[in-house]
Amino acid sequence: MKSTQYTDKTLEHFRNPRNVGTLEGPNVALGRVGNPVCGDLMDIYIKVTDDDRIEDIKFQTFGCGSAVATSSMITELVVGMQLDEALKVSRGDVADALEGLPPIKMHCSNLAADALHEAINNWRAGVKPENATTGAAATSCQPRPAEVVEVEIEHLADYQGKGVYTTLGDPAQLADQRVVVLDTGDPAAQLAIDLTDHTGRVVFMTTGKEPSVSAAVRSALRLSDVKVLAEAQPLALGGEGELERIRVHDLNEDEEYELTADAFVVLE
Amino acid sequence: MSTTAAATQATGVVYADYQSSKPVDPRVVEAMLPYFTQTYGNASSLHGVGDLATAALDDARARVARFVGAQPEEIVFTGGATEANNLAVIGYALRNKRKGDHVIITEAEHISILNIAKYLEKNGFRVTRAPIDLYGRVSPAKLRARMTDETILVSVGWASSEIGTIQPIEEIAEMLAGTGVVLHTDAVAAEGLVPLDMTRVPVGLMTLSSNDIYGPRGLGALYVRKGVPVAPVLLGGGQERGLRSGTEDLASIAGMATAADIMTAEMPAEVARIGAIRDRLVARVLSEIPDAHLNGHPEHRLPSNAHFRFDGIEGEAMVLSLRDAGVAASTGSACSSKTLEPSHTLISTGLLHEEAHGSLEFTFGRFSRDDEVERIMSVLPDVVARLRHLSPLYEKKDQS
Repeated sequence: MKSTQYTDKTLEHFRNPRNVGTLEGPNVALGRVGNPVCGDLMDIYIKVTDDDRIEDIKFQTFGCGSAVATSSMITELVVGMQLDEALKVSRGDVADALEGLPPIKMHCSNLAADALHEAINNWRAGVKPENATTGAAATSCQPRPAEVVEVEIEHLADYQGKGVYTTLGDPAQLADQRVVVLDTGDPAAQLAIDLTDHTGRVVFMTTGKEPSVSAAVRSALRLSDVKVLAEAQPLALGGEGELERIRVHDLNEDEEYELTADAFVVLE
Repeated sequence: MSTTAAATQATGVVYADYQSSKPVDPRVVEAMLPYFTQTYGNASSLHGVGDLATAALDDARARVARFVGAQPEEIVFTGGATEANNLAVIGYALRNKRKGDHVIITEAEHISILNIAKYLEKNGFRVTRAPIDLYGRVSPAKLRARMTDETILVSVGWASSEIGTIQPIEEIAEMLAGTGVVLHTDAVAAEGLVPLDMTRVPVGLMTLSSNDIYGPRGLGALYVRKGVPVAPVLLGGGQERGLRSGTEDLASIAGMATAADIMTAEMPAEVARIGAIRDRLVARVLSEIPDAHLNGHPEHRLPSNAHFRFDGIEGEAMVLSLRDAGVAASTGSACSSKTLEPSHTLISTGLLHEEAHGSLEFTFGRFSRDDEVERIMSVLPDVVARLRHLSPLYEKKDQS
């Protein structure tokens, strides 16, 4: 079965999703699950009455057809429900309500129930939407935040002058290269922005959720073509004679992956 | 305008997925028909009916050879391009095992080559995957740096079927000249879009597909340069000089030969026309849709290929929405693949997973029309805007 062989009901919810948006106010909680790395991120907002009923519900979803459809479906299923009742709505219930999902999508793109449960748990724990962290969905792609610890980047010295730069006189020397700039503060961020005049690929890598730079530089970064890679810790460098890849620890997922790069700038 | 393309277009669908499959040219279908009911002999038979088949096979082989500047005896017909890749890489590796056990491929290869490489590794060979640059190109120097005394074969696709980047095949072939290491190239994506001239470019083995020049599906060919030793991977009656057993599919072979003739005659004008359509789409997407990016090389790319990514949204959702709007396109997003892994080529160019998820590919071909850019652009900006409105990830830059 093709991953996109959806039921008419699923396609209908994808085409006309119900309750898209966000909610604000004192009686609102947010549940966020998934990870953009895996292709799915869901936010479900609930507004709760004094007698524990879901008065209003909205969602925003980054993801494929079934990710959107399951989000839309669950908002219809649980609006008006008591919280205890809503907690019993399962992934299977959502899939059933959509008259089935392709088997391959049952796990990866059926996170809506998890997002709802996360929102209810956050409500009960008194977590405000702005403080909600990504919840643990029972999927292969669930976030398992790791602690930031100072680590020595392996082979950093080996690639000195072969792709590793601790100073950079002229950004033009990195023309058309994939440059990763490590977050060492404002000058590094400014250099990353300057580099976008010379290459289409500049990644600003930070271990934090946001770059550790001043507000003005952060906003300049956002407006620029620099790709900010948050919660990422470089572990080791590799390549045949010159730098070709950086082993990265994804701190949000507690997983490792390799990022292709030609230059790694670590300003002193 | 042919009847086949007109039929699709009459349904109001813009077909912009020529990389996945191409319609067979009606002139090709016409040329194939006599081989089903009139010239039906087996080319191996000794009687007159068989002789007619032999003559037709020889004639078709010469025409396909001419299309790529080869000698007729250098063309081996196979059951598709995947089989030609298997014959080239596995057949060459097996036949030359005593010279060495090392094969080099690149990070930009089609899944057909990637899986063949895994098979070789399971069977005692070592495989190195050479990296690609920001635009998906492999450099001769990076290949050179990976060669050892044990290296017997380098396999580099002439162009990427996905992001459309054209590899410097001529330079790679020249770098390998005199080293004893043979170059195989899967030329399927490049066929009919860039010249493939074996008198000029010294590759040893080249994979061709019939459908990619608007011939019938299920037929391919392997160019085997004279003196390049290959072992068969399919055993049987010893057809195709022993390299590909099985009675030749004469109708399809005649079809591929006609497709090759048509392509030789029409390619210059066709490439210019397709390239102009593609250029217009790229220019409009990049200027009219915010936070849109072109993947692949800005110049060294197939004239048919426009490969984009859009910040904050996912490819399968885009393809589904475009399908509703009557546009057939494709994506490298994991969510549309059987393995749920995003395109390895995009990741190897340095993109993050979340960026690879947002890719969208349009490919044009012989029956694409100028007004189809207009049709695509009448729906694509709304599709992107709608999905961004749904997405918690997209924040407009001018708002922040």
